[in-house]
Amino acid sequence: MSEESQEFQPLVDREKRLADARALVDAIENEDVGREAALIGELTAAYSGNIFDEVGRMTREVHDTLRSFAEDERLGAFTQEEMPDARDRLHYVITLTEQAATRTLSITEEATPIADQIVDRSQRLKDELAKVVASEADNPRLGSVVDSMARYLDSTTHRGEQLKAQLTEVMMAQEFQDLSGQLLMRVIDLLEQLEDKLVGLLQITAPVREANAPDRQAERAEDGVGPQLPNASDNVVKNQDDVDDLLESLGF
Amino acid sequence: MDRNMKILVVDDFSTMRRIIKNLLKELGFTNLEEADDGQTALPLLRQGNFDFLITDWNMPGMSGIDLLRAVRADDSLATLPVLMVTAEAKREQIILAAQEGVNGYIVKPFNGATLKGKIEKIFERVES
Repeated sequence: MSEESQEFQPLVDREKRLADARALVDAIENEDVGREAALIGELTAAYSGNIFDEVGRMTREVHDTLRSFAEDERLGAFTQEEMPDARDRLHYVITLTEQAATRTLSITEEATPIADQIVDRSQRLKDELAKVVASEADNPRLGSVVDSMARYLDSTTHRGEQLKAQLTEVMMAQEFQDLSGQLLMRVIDLLEQLEDKLVGLLQITAPVREANAPDRQAERAEDGVGPQLPNASDNVVKNQDDVDDLLESLGF
Repeated sequence: MDRNMKILVVDDFSTMRRIIKNLLKELGFTNLEEADDGQTALPLLRQGNFDFLITDWNMPGMSGIDLLRAVRADDSLATLPVLMVTAEAKREQIILAAQEGVNGYIVKPFNGATLKGKIEKIFERVES
């Protein structure tokens, strides 16, 4: 601050400024509004030359900064290599997660019929055993063996059902691939725009670019805005219950 | 509700199409077809005698909301029940979908029970 005020030298000498300031106090005391305005004008004029100098100096600084910005080699590498690289990596993450999800889905699709078979066969076997026991009612030894086999088959059926439910859960968990893929696509889109802007800025020291370069359209709900993050605003439903409440309020 | 009804599943992510189809199979539906966006879905719908449409919102080509509009504007499809299963979760979007005539709306991530419940509810209304 003190450095700035040092540079900020008025154009008019001290005597004149003091005289003007005293006259200003006098004008205010005498409620001479016209003279008061004129004197304020005189006093500010004493500085305005410096203000223009200052604006000129700032303009040069901005210009120099932009030039050194454009000449910064890292920035060139950034737009030409690193940002496209980052995009490729994100695309690769999408590919990897898709492969993983597809593989998991294939396995659950193969495993589910196996669990189905276990459930079906243990149930059928139990029914057949029950018939045998009914026809051999006078054989207590057979009865007790069949009894323990039936208990075992019951638990197998139950576990087979559990297995099926768990396989469904594993399948549903692969939903992450859609959501993470959509979010990554949006980050990739953002990177592309950032890259565009940077390239534009780099060209600024060359003849000024066309001012009517297409501006990025603001996100439009109608086009779809993608999955929302957990800390999203109030404008976003948090779960299916919110959706149902909203639709109910609309008469659904 | 007819378990043999013909259902079209529209989503640009193959993972999600597969998950929805698997869930539908578990619910006993076997007559299933798929498309990856509105543009491919619409011709299928026009020639395919579909009984039910399940669609995502955000897809390249033709979005789910535009597909819904096209369906409602087509005399032969206007009454087709449509369920949206999407990550789009803004209130204005759900309201828009309702105004355009959607029959149900599920926000991802979702589960099989939700899908079952919504389908049952839609067909209770359609059949009543």
